[in-house]
Amino acid sequence: MNIFFILLSAIALSSALGVILMRNPIHSALCLIVNLVAIAGYFALLNAHFLALVQIIVYAGAIMVLVVFVLMLLNSKLEEQKSAGLFMLVVSSVFAVMFIVHMSKIYGAEFSTSGVASASLQGTVANLGRVLFTQYVFSFEASAVLLMAAIVGAAMLAKTTPERPRGDGERV
Amino acid sequence: MAGVGVLVLFVKGFIVQQLTLGLASFCTWVERKGSALIQDRVGANRAGAFFEVGDLLKTDNVLLQPIAFVVRTLVLAPTLALVRFLGVLGVINTLLNDALKALLKEDFIPEGTSPFLHAMGPFMAVAPVFLAYAVVPLAPDFVVAGYTIRPQVVELNAGLLFLLAMGSLAVYGVILAGLTGNNKFSLLGALRASAQMISYELAMGTTFATLVLVYGSLDLYEIVMAQAGSVMNWGILHGTGIVSFIILFVVGMAETKRGPFDMPESESELVAGYFTEYSGMKFLLFWLGEFAEIALFSLILTIFFFGGWHIPFVSLPEGVWWAALVGHAVLIGKVLFFCVLQIVIRWTLPRFRYDQLMDLGWKILLPLSLVNLVVAAVIELSLK
Amino acid sequence: MSTSSYLTISIILFSIGTIGFVVRRNAIVVFMCVELMLNAVNLAFVAFARHHGSLEGEAAVFFVMVVAAAEAAVGLAIIIAVFRNHRSIETSDADHLRL
Repeated sequence: MNIFFILLSAIALSSALGVILMRNPIHSALCLIVNLVAIAGYFALLNAHFLALVQIIVYAGAIMVLVVFVLMLLNSKLEEQKSAGLFMLVVSSVFAVMFIVHMSKIYGAEFSTSGVASASLQGTVANLGRVLFTQYVFSFEASAVLLMAAIVGAAMLAKTTPERPRGDGERV
Repeated sequence: MAGVGVLVLFVKGFIVQQLTLGLASFCTWVERKGSALIQDRVGANRAGAFFEVGDLLKTDNVLLQPIAFVVRTLVLAPTLALVRFLGVLGVINTLLNDALKALLKEDFIPEGTSPFLHAMGPFMAVAPVFLAYAVVPLAPDFVVAGYTIRPQVVELNAGLLFLLAMGSLAVYGVILAGLTGNNKFSLLGALRASAQMISYELAMGTTFATLVLVYGSLDLYEIVMAQAGSVMNWGILHGTGIVSFIILFVVGMAETKRGPFDMPESESELVAGYFTEYSGMKFLLFWLGEFAEIALFSLILTIFFFGGWHIPFVSLPEGVWWAALVGHAVLIGKVLFFCVLQIVIRWTLPRFRYDQLMDLGWKILLPLSLVNLVVAAVIELSLK
Repeated sequence: MSTSSYLTISIILFSIGTIGFVVRRNAIVVFMCVELMLNAVNLAFVAFARHHGSLEGEAAVFFVMVVAAAEAAVGLAIIIAVFRNHRSIETSDADHLRL
């Protein structure tokens, strides 16, 4: 178990760094895909098998395909011309390090065990389904409505109207 | 105990991998020779077809003559006869010569792309398909030396979701190939292919949900066992099984980007689509992935709708090794039938237009699969 | 493994995502950094769920995924609309208070 955790951590952290360090956005996207699959691996280690597979299907299989698809469509001049300067990098890094040190101190004290290990609470499809359709049934239905709204909204935003006056004429 | 488990796992994995490669090679051969039959050509029949024993091992040494005679009649002659037979059938040409040729070819990498990503393209096209075989059960359980062995590499309780996950990862092979090709044909082919795969995945996911509802399980082994008994228990005859079967069959043809759905590689417009810039073994890997995917879809169809290893009107004894072997042979026989069916359709029907393909996916198959889900749910409820 | 080691990984991933969000200018990369942060939080959710032996954390992850999918659809459509008008997806170029 330990070896898997170390391996996954190495993959997840290096690919996360790759996402923000690669200049070509497509390379960033590929790094993010590796990262998402690594996080699915963590889910599997934590006995959430259903979530691990859904993570791959939804994130790697749908969202990231969409992102790469858009990157391929807008293929021209995607290399970043300028980045936000050294000042922002230094400030955000300092705050990030402070955040990491502080939070891991809190968590390290309080969650140093592996917690309750009960076999009946594994994240199998049946167990998770029971929770989703009883306790969270309203949120479940609401998320269906949200997805519907997102589909319609995306179609409206991406649709091209044949001749739209550009420039000062019309507010979109 | 743990050691035995790991050993059994490795043996299972090895066998399944060999089976995958075997099925893929069978499809390659049917593709070459079957297409020739359909188009009234002869097809591959040259390599190895003219081997003769002739003067081989002829010697003047009196002492060696009997040995040479024995070797010629008992070893060389039968071997060469077999080689001639396979050569006329085109097996040597398709499986041996083509692979050797591809190995010896120059590995061309287009300028201005990363060689690593270029190599990852065919890898990502093949690896998910091979991984998906891990959750497919290939024979009934059998008992050896007190151990019950299930002929399935991973006994995952969410095997169906694993199939979906691997199917969605296979898109990246296409995308990487299109991106690293560094030309317009690759890019357009990859855009077409990935849009096609994503569109048809919707109908596939909905139909999988229908099947989960009907069988009440995500484990492929349990799905096969639910179809035991008579033919009436087979998935295709149960409820709306025939509709699910038609949807999954069409989706399978489209997901493998073959048959009438091969717009991504339409030769007349896009040279070869997303694998335009690939040569040698990397090119062959794409083909291997494609044929492995055909065989995988045939396996899925057999397991969901045609009773897996169950034989009509015959029930095999449980837990015996020979019953497992017979079951496996029956399963593979059904799978080969669907492989050949897909290849015949591919060489018979003309290509769709791209808008027709999108219409079929979004306006026909997706609504049909949604209606199918509701109807199947109603039927299941009324049967209870 | 103890829960705190998973949480530490989650914190580091979240921080990396935040740095990328602040530093990068390409709108799609910014979007991907948000996804990275969401995933870090998901990891923390699952770790907490196992720690307390309840499935509520996993249900939360499920909803985060749904919202992330909706966000991806709308967000990328907006990015395409911005690109159509500005011929660029740099965040600093989209400064007209409209698409």
